[in-house]
Amino acid sequence: MRYLLRRLALFVVALLVISLVVFLALRVLPGDIATIMAGLNASPERVAALRDQLGLDRPLSEQYGSWIAGLLHGDLGTTMLTGQSVAAVVATRARITFPLIILGLLVALAIGIPLGCAAVLARKARTRAFFQVLAVIGGAVPALWGGLLLILLFAKGSGILPILPATGFPRTGWHTPGQALLALVLPALTVGIIVGASIMRYTRSALQSVASTGTIEMAMACGMTRTDAVLRVGLRLAMPQLVSVVGLTFAEMVTGVMVIENLFALPGIGSGLVDDLGHRDLVAVQGELFLLAAFFLVIGLLVDLTHRALDPRLGANDD
Amino acid sequence: MTDTATRMRRIRIVLSSMWRQPAGKYSLTVLGLWIAVSLVSLCWTPYDLMETDGYHVWQAPSASHWLGTDGTGADVFSWLMAGSRTDLVIVVLTVLFSAALGLLLVAAMVSRSGALAHGSVVAIDALISIPTVLIALMLAVPMGASVAVIVLACGFGYGLNLARVARPQALLAANSMYVESARANGASAPRVFLTHVVPNIMPVVVVQCSLSAGTAVLAESGLTYLGVGVPSGVPSWGHSLATSVKFININPQTVLWPGLLVTLMVVALNLFGDALRDAMDPLANPQLRRA
Repeated sequence: MRYLLRRLALFVVALLVISLVVFLALRVLPGDIATIMAGLNASPERVAALRDQLGLDRPLSEQYGSWIAGLLHGDLGTTMLTGQSVAAVVATRARITFPLIILGLLVALAIGIPLGCAAVLARKARTRAFFQVLAVIGGAVPALWGGLLLILLFAKGSGILPILPATGFPRTGWHTPGQALLALVLPALTVGIIVGASIMRYTRSALQSVASTGTIEMAMACGMTRTDAVLRVGLRLAMPQLVSVVGLTFAEMVTGVMVIENLFALPGIGSGLVDDLGHRDLVAVQGELFLLAAFFLVIGLLVDLTHRALDPRLGANDD
Repeated sequence: MTDTATRMRRIRIVLSSMWRQPAGKYSLTVLGLWIAVSLVSLCWTPYDLMETDGYHVWQAPSASHWLGTDGTGADVFSWLMAGSRTDLVIVVLTVLFSAALGLLLVAAMVSRSGALAHGSVVAIDALISIPTVLIALMLAVPMGASVAVIVLACGFGYGLNLARVARPQALLAANSMYVESARANGASAPRVFLTHVVPNIMPVVVVQCSLSAGTAVLAESGLTYLGVGVPSGVPSWGHSLATSVKFININPQTVLWPGLLVTLMVVALNLFGDALRDAMDPLANPQLRRA
């Protein structure tokens, strides 16, 4: 209970600090925000109007206060280009990013967990070395290049085995679910393979740390085969660690797939944020950065609490 | 007492035992080549970087242009060579920054002031879930595309990581009898930290630094592609990789080289940390105990 309270207090403090950082990041820009946002060829009247609209003439503390007040009402501001609310824009983009990372995570788990187990189960030094090499290389591939390689292999039009489209998300969106899903396959595979390599490393090290406590030998002494002991005892004991890792990985993928979204022309959360940054739409950027940071903090909180719930040994050390 | 001669002998022992392992041999060779090529590129590249040639754009690899030419007719191989020095600078700065930040945080966590120790643990727990990319984007808002964005974001992320991973070892050392006796003899807190705590967490520091170096190279390629990394016009591997995307429908095989280069370098950086940790460990390397 004490842990829960402390962790929640910490969450609120971190959220405040992040909001301050995001707010100030935009205020320390060299030059005037309104001038930057209005662009190179803007008239002085336009700049003045923008400054008035954003309330830039008011003191910083007042600006911050009204921004936070807006946030508490769920108002993240409006984008400059289309006049839509930032929340609505992010919601539209999330409809692409979340399916993409869920697919990617499924691929990653399907690759990473079996390979991680196999790496621990391998008996021959040569096989172990092979898995080692696989994990190291998988973690070293730049996402952009991984995507390019898969395009070279499988994309319709340019691929060696042209079976999958790589031409971006269909204009009709999820109204044509088949097409939309197909557009996500190649990006999801790219993400899945790269993230799969890190899931594999985590699975292996979690299993090894379980094995170092002697539980697996214990299970074998009780008559289990080595495979059984690793898969049924080891994997279960490694589960709390793995759940934490998967949770944090999931969160990290939201921004981690930015490059992939960009490469495959998918208008998701990450590539959208980069676009807004390029358009100097600073109100939208401020809102999106805060929203993402808040999302990561929430996931961090949930992961910590779940880890505790799954592994009661951790709670025993509380003072 | 360690004089210069002993120190040199130790460095030789560490390097030679790294060389005996395949992973160490690979990483030493590749990193050595990297540094050499960076130095060479300062005074010589096969073609001038700014040399454009409107008649020979998007050329396939040939004897005169080993990796072909890009959309302005500039030589891709020359740009990759020059890019190695930018990435080398990024890697060195990132490692220095993440190690400095990480060690400062560890010092705070093992300090005898309860508030400082507790506060730093709590702050790390809260901030560690924010990914490097997001930090980079936050920094890119005021700073624009620059090397500093990559260095600060990767250094910050891995500084936190280092502190978190090194904490148990550091606490063990800080609460040990030898630290107590050092304190009783009047050693100051910084001295205790540097001579007794840091050597104990060195293996973790080495591995985390090598991971942060690898991440910095990967982050450079991603962020530069997105336009918030190395500014345009500055040669870097990320720049070459991003340029190669435009090649894909013209000379598909040309796409292979920049990415392959980045992959090989990141592998070398990651293996280097593991190999160095093993070679530096007096328990695993009996030669060091004799030196």
